[in-house]
Amino acid sequence: MYKVNLLTRDGATIAFDAEPSDTLLDAAERASIYLPSSCREGGCGACRVARASGEVELMSYSSAALSEDERMAGDILLCRAQPRSDLTLRAPFDEAAVGFAPVPERRATLVAIEPAGSGAMRLQLQYEDDPTFGLAAQFTAGQFIELTLPDGSAKRSYSLANAPNWDGTLELFIRLQPHGAFSNYLRDRAAVGDRLLVRGPQGQFTLDEASAAPRWFVVGGTGLAPALSMLRQMAEFADQRPCRLFFGVNKVDELFALDVIDGLEAAVPQLVVTLCVWKPEQDWRGFAGTPVEALAQALSSATERPDIYVCGPPALIAAAEEAGRAGGVPHDRIFSEKFTAA
Amino acid sequence: MFCYQCEQTYRSDEGAGCAGAKGMCGKDAATADLQDILLYVCEGVGQYLHRARQLGATDIEADRFILFAFFTTLTNVNFNAAKFVELIQQASQIRDRAKALYENAARAAAKIPQTLSGPAAFVPASNMAGLSAQASEAAVRKDAAILGEDAVGARALILYGLKGVCAYAHHARVLGEERDAIYAAVEHALDMLAREERDVATLLDEALALGRANFLAMEALDAANTGAFGSPTPTNVRVTPIKGKAILVSGHDLKDLHAILEATKDKGINVYTHGEMLPAHSYPKLKAYPHLAGNYGGAWQDQQKEFAEFPGPIVMTSNCLIEPQPRYRGRIFTAGPVGWAGVRHIADENFAVVAQAAQALPGFAEDAPEQTITIGFGRDTVLGVADKVIDAVKSGAIRHFFLVGGCDGAAPGRNYYSDFADEAPKDTVILTLGCGKYRFNKHDFGTIGGLPRLLDMGQCNDAYSALVVATKLAEAFGVGVNELPLSLIVSWFEQKAAAVLLTLLALGVRNVRIGPTLPALLTPALVDVLVEKFGVQPIGDAKADIAASLARAA
Repeated sequence: MYKVNLLTRDGATIAFDAEPSDTLLDAAERASIYLPSSCREGGCGACRVARASGEVELMSYSSAALSEDERMAGDILLCRAQPRSDLTLRAPFDEAAVGFAPVPERRATLVAIEPAGSGAMRLQLQYEDDPTFGLAAQFTAGQFIELTLPDGSAKRSYSLANAPNWDGTLELFIRLQPHGAFSNYLRDRAAVGDRLLVRGPQGQFTLDEASAAPRWFVVGGTGLAPALSMLRQMAEFADQRPCRLFFGVNKVDELFALDVIDGLEAAVPQLVVTLCVWKPEQDWRGFAGTPVEALAQALSSATERPDIYVCGPPALIAAAEEAGRAGGVPHDRIFSEKFTAA
Repeated sequence: MFCYQCEQTYRSDEGAGCAGAKGMCGKDAATADLQDILLYVCEGVGQYLHRARQLGATDIEADRFILFAFFTTLTNVNFNAAKFVELIQQASQIRDRAKALYENAARAAAKIPQTLSGPAAFVPASNMAGLSAQASEAAVRKDAAILGEDAVGARALILYGLKGVCAYAHHARVLGEERDAIYAAVEHALDMLAREERDVATLLDEALALGRANFLAMEALDAANTGAFGSPTPTNVRVTPIKGKAILVSGHDLKDLHAILEATKDKGINVYTHGEMLPAHSYPKLKAYPHLAGNYGGAWQDQQKEFAEFPGPIVMTSNCLIEPQPRYRGRIFTAGPVGWAGVRHIADENFAVVAQAAQALPGFAEDAPEQTITIGFGRDTVLGVADKVIDAVKSGAIRHFFLVGGCDGAAPGRNYYSDFADEAPKDTVILTLGCGKYRFNKHDFGTIGGLPRLLDMGQCNDAYSALVVATKLAEAFGVGVNELPLSLIVSWFEQKAAAVLLTLLALGVRNVRIGPTLPALLTPALVDVLVEKFGVQPIGDAKADIAASLARAA
């Protein structure tokens, strides 16, 4: 049995014991400590932390979740790491992101499903009233849920695009993958009235509320979803912090949720939106290029260093982190959530 | 960051004060620095308003802003850095307006306007980074080397006392009670702080003047609360939950509670009071709402556990807020001066969303066994039985009154107050004020001659009600307040308590016992003044202090 001390971003220490045969994530959960995580199989990187001291053995994982550079720097994945000594870990999240009760499991009904640009779908789910949780959809803007198909055959995690609400509404934007189990369900079988198991909310890709810096959201494709959630919450809270949205897709017809973005521009007057299309048709009047290129341009003329929130595929995250570094934004002011295809 | 305004401030051998990345209250350094800057800019507003008033020109909106701005900086009120960036810009604009008001009034009176320096001339940066760089110019201990430690302490006493005055005056203001004399005193104090007054005797006189202004503020608040909701009457309050949807209302603002009761009328939602909202149950126009169901939980420092277990939305109408934990962060709302980044704020007194949240959350699944306490012994009730009280004192049935009042907190030394109440002899009456009472208000104290031995007079600001009672009883006995068989046992935590202490001193009330510790801003020389001139005593051992109090009266 080893002692594990995990230090959170805001200075709290979370301590638990772990057997050598436990993953750190399982060991923590045995102690009723629910650390941010998602796929639990080394594929997403949601449970990545830094190792300050001690040794672990890492089971197999995807390089998209933990790069060689990150591993060399001492980073580990909690879902893949078994302790080989006492450990001190540094987490990139606040104590508030740690749950001390199991992640809720609830039932929700599919109430709307429609295309969202070419290649993605918009889903709306309605929570059922629950004796423990009521009707409310309580989460922190930016968090995700895990859905289980009606037949129990597949589980996938998706970010919520709407703000927390009392009506029990969940809104998701899902990119259709050619052979994804969930994508096949959405394409072929999904129907209004389907009941799904929802495990959540989870995740620590949330606003750093303590920071008064401007907020820049850099998102690709359905990575827009958590940024929409955060911006909708800013609108609801009448938050006056300067903010920008760099939303990128490959082709113009992949743009979606433009009506929502229009609404946000009205509700959050200081919001500046840059729509980025990598391979635009000739009449495209917006930014031609990736959202990271737009970010780099904007950083070069910024008067105040922003907090950068990045969501999209791993390559987008890496590029945005590099652009942030080049633009003088400290590494710990760049927050990211990787979307991995499964 | 440097802050030593509350009782729980960090104390070590090197001295007292929170100076790290985060204060003991959970406020981060950036927010604490912004609060200092906001107050500094408000001093500049005060410099102009003070002079304008002497020329007959006033700006009541600017005065109202100062009350609100100061209120946001009390301990456990507002932790939202972004809000302070906004408030500083507003304060700066209001200062420009106050400057124009003063200069126009001077010219109209055929005088040449003075060019003011210090806070009046300070130009705050427009963004967070710039403001952070200016923090040292507005720090509480700025110029300590020039002013001297005693002057810095006395100035802090005034600054913090002023926060208390502003908080009470703001509560009164929202219910429509305002006093020109309070605004004049606030402006005067701001101007005095701005000109770096450093003579300790002068500063102590100013502190007492502020204490008198606070008496007016408490009087205005008493008039506001009783005017709007009637005079408190003895009331049994349920302290256990009832099955059904539920809202918890904390803080001190009765107007917000009233708005919440209206917003939840006939919706099958029970409204519970928390902490300092408990006395609301004794106001006739509030207790007329059948869904004002009961009181939930204890004093503020237990909220993280109690709020997590409360199955509905929670509204913080004023202090004391501590960091909302993940388990309830999504269902806690702030109102008025209160704020926490990332927590829903209701700025327009429209609580419909809270009612909606209550419907969407599970509520209490079952009735808990019924348990009640009795509250509501405000000045009218106590004076209504003054004859009985006077007879009981004359016959010896009541030997002594202990007013055990003030805030609760987490410090271990605070068990003194429950020990004190429990150990007080059976022929003594215990009067309570503030949330310190939660340590013992569910104990059984019995009765004396049909009167409960434990009489709750209300919130901290109902110190006014206690002073009215003491003054009337003193008149009836033909003695001064200090000759009454009455001892004041005060527990303090934040700056309203500092204001109440200044009021007691200004009114010549002696022999106040104060704890669990003395304010950190008091230097040894200042403590000597309080002890020698005003008979203030730090608390000691409960039994010994009871014996000493009874011996003094005998």
